[in-house]
Order: sequence, then C-alpha cells, then structure tokens
Amino acid sequence: MTRTLQITRALVTAGLLETLRRKDLYVVLILTLLLTLGASAFRVFGVQGLEIFVKDVALTAIGVMTTVLTVLIAARQIPEEMQRRTIYPLMARPITRGQLLLGKWATATMTASLCFVILALTTLGLLLTLGIGVKPIFVQYVLLKLLGIGWLCAMVIALSLYMTPAANVTLSLILAFGSGLFGRLLLMAHWEHDLSALWLNLLYGVLPHYDYFDMSKKVVFDWDLAPWWVLGAMAGYAVLNGGAWLLMGWLRFRKQTIG
Amino acid sequence: MLPIEVSHLVVAYRRWFKPPFCAVDDLSFVVREGEIVGFLGANGAGKTSTIKTLMGFQPPTAGTARIFGMDATDARARQLVGFLPETALYSPYLTPYETLRLYGELHGLRGRQLKAQIEALLEAVNLSHKAHTLNKNLSKGMLQRVGIAQALLGDPKLLILDEVSSGLDPIGKRELRDLLSTQRARGATIFFSSHELAEVASICDRILIIHRGRLIAEHWLSDLTGRVESLEDYFIRTVQAGRDILHEEASAA
Repeated sequence: MTRTLQITRALVTAGLLETLRRKDLYVVLILTLLLTLGASAFRVFGVQGLEIFVKDVALTAIGVMTTVLTVLIAARQIPEEMQRRTIYPLMARPITRGQLLLGKWATATMTASLCFVILALTTLGLLLTLGIGVKPIFVQYVLLKLLGIGWLCAMVIALSLYMTPAANVTLSLILAFGSGLFGRLLLMAHWEHDLSALWLNLLYGVLPHYDYFDMSKKVVFDWDLAPWWVLGAMAGYAVLNGGAWLLMGWLRFRKQTIG
Repeated sequence: MLPIEVSHLVVAYRRWFKPPFCAVDDLSFVVREGEIVGFLGANGAGKTSTIKTLMGFQPPTAGTARIFGMDATDARARQLVGFLPETALYSPYLTPYETLRLYGELHGLRGRQLKAQIEALLEAVNLSHKAHTLNKNLSKGMLQRVGIAQALLGDPKLLILDEVSSGLDPIGKRELRDLLSTQRARGATIFFSSHELAEVASICDRILIIHRGRLIAEHWLSDLTGRVESLEDYFIRTVQAGRDILHEEASAA
C-alpha cells in the first residue's frame, strides 16, 4: 500500500508539473473569464436582473471547459506515454500495471481537479467583483463536480485502453455531454415504440451518467443546501461505477503488449 | 542466480486473417553475472521482441524468460534491472532533474539518497549544466543521455540496453563506453543490442546473433580474434548463412 502511494505521488507530481507548463489551462481560464465578462456587459445597455443570466453563463462555461479539459487530460495519460515511448522506462521500474493504471487515474483526477478549482475560484472572484453573490450550495456544487471529475477520469482512462485516442476523446465527450439526454431519449423510445420499461430502466442504469454530478442550475437559481446524504450517495456511485471502469481498463491492460 | 535465462522462448503476434507472425522462435540462451553480452541481428531479427519479453512488456507465447530467477513478467524482477529503450522522448515539460526524480521515486528511491544519485548521474553523463532545462529544449543526444542516466538509477545489477548509442555523437559514444566500463567494474551485467559492430567489438565479452527469431551463432569475442577479419564481415557472413539455412528448411518443408 505504501509502495502504491509512493508510485502514485511520483506520477501525480510529474503530471501536475506537466499540466502547469502546458498552455491548455491558461487558455481555458481566459476563455471562461471572457465569457463571464461578456455576459455581464449587457448591463451597459441597461438590462436589469442579469445576475441569473451571468451566473448561468459562468457556470456553464466552467462546466464545459472542465469537462473538455478532464477528457483531454485523462485521454492522454497512457496513450501519450506509449506514443512517446516513455512507457518503456516507466514500466521498466518495479511497478505493476495495476499500480501504473491507478497512478495515472490519480494523476488525471488531481490535475483536472486542480484546473477546475482554479477555474471555479477565479470565476467566483469575478462574479463577486461584479456584485453577484452565490449561496453556500456553491460548495456542494464544487464537491460534486470533483467527484464527477474522478469518475469521468476513470471512464476515459479505461476507454483509452480499448480505442485510439481520437475515438476515445470523441466517445467520451459524447457520453459526458450527452448523458443528460439519455433519460429523455429512453422515455421517448418508451412512449413512441412502447418498449419495455424494465429493459429501458436497465439500460438507463447501465449507461454512464456524468449529468448526476452537475448542480450548476441549483447554484444559478440560489437553491438551499441539498441534504448531505445525497452527496454521500453520489460519492458511492462515483466509487462503485468509477471502480468498475478502472477494473475494465485493468482487465485489458494487464495482458496488453506494451508498444 | 543467472541474470538472464531464456528458454525455448517463442513470441508470436496475432494478425487478422493471417497466420501469426513469429518474431522469436524457440530461442534459448543465458547471460552470466558480470558479462557484457552483445545481442546482434539484422533489422526485424527479433532483438526488440526478445528484449520486450525480458522486460515484461510482452508476454511470451511459449517458453520462459527469467531475470535473476524470477519470471520476467513479475514486477519484482525489475528491481535489479536498468533499461534503456531504443528511442524515448522524455516528457518535454519536465527537466532532466525532474525526469530522473520521477523514475527514481518509481524505483523506490527517495530523499537524500535519490538527490545524491541524480546529481552524480547527471555529472556522469555530462548534463549537470542542463539539469533544470526543459527536455523540449534539449538535443536528441542530450535526451539519450537522460535515458542513460535513468537506466543507471538505483545501481542496477543488470543493464538491458536497446540500440544504446543511437543519437549519440562520437564524444557521447566514447563517454558511453567509459560509463559501461565503470558499470562493469562495479560488477554489473550488461546485455545490449546494437548495430554498431565496432562498438560491440570494443566492449563485449560475448555475442549472440539471431536471425528470424532464432539463435544462429554464439561466440566469445576472444575466440573470434585472429580467426575473422572483422566483426562486421563475420556478422554479415553468419546472417547470410542463417538466411540460406532457413531458406533450405522452408523449401524442404
């Protein structure tokens, strides 16, 4: 266990350094701030009651940017090591493939979480500067998003072992952004084609649900704090479902020829 | 315990709608402690597949590959091994110091011991002055030196080097030779593949030549001295003979 932690720490440190030295984060940060500022600029035209609109734009931008960044960061963890051939000196160390997979998941999660926290805090600062406040539910929004990032990283890393990086990024983005539509699509299928509710419910349960981790609309409309057991249940979902994704990835990776 | 023990190793790659491609075919050899062994063969002979199997990157189709008595797929076997791949583009966003710290920590080193080793290795490969420059700003030869330094982290008892001198300038090659001699002096076993036969002749105790995945010659270099004009001529003749034998076998089959 100590050894696995040591391996994870080494990989996370290197991953964080790499991310901070790449330009992705700064581009995303500038874009988000520009979008929020752009939304608030409607005040110039005397439009009243913009708070909800500006908050909506800001949180939507954070959500979209975080999801794209998370998918890109997680999707490159193992394939990039293979492409650069640095997987060889990495796996030439006394580490198991399971430890590498876990370390890479932790790296992606920590890096994407750091990016999200920077984005969220900077945008919050900008909103407060503009005189737009948020309720304490913002804390729950951040915590739930962090859980979602961990879960999304597990899914993307697992898929990266089964398909090419381009296919993985495309599918992951479809699954992440489209997950909110699954329920509606299945309901439509139920109404239009009279499909069995049991099978549709099963399918709904099996499909990945990144949408479960989004509380942004509740922040926008100033809801009160959600019961903490809801967050506990979401943590359970993230651990179980994310664990299943990682297990699926490990089943493929443990016997895969490297390079 | 033998540093390397390969027995009836077969490595075959599956292909869609075609019979599997056999990269290594019933290969057996051993490398004893303290030896420097050159692993030679033409392009596509199966050298890299053999090395990948020894490092646990590729599971054998049949036969066994053992490192210090442990199965090559066992992660613990790599505790005593240093490996330098043919080409590796180390993360462009890390410095040589950070790169070595990453690999050192993965090896289980930490604290002052790791710091001292990194500094000594950067000094040994003449990269101290570039220790904190991002890898993306280093030349190919300098990156190869980073690779050599990472392979030597943890004072490995066995060094496995794949096309070790590619990308190095003549001075770098000389320094590498000196470095390998130093490693040998401290008792390390070295197994390396190379196309630079002059270099092989100057460093190795023994050579193994493979062709189409089969071992076709195994010699102490001291036995060849005086008997052959140059290692290059001998290598070309041996590979040609191996080609003819395999061709005859295929015709007979």
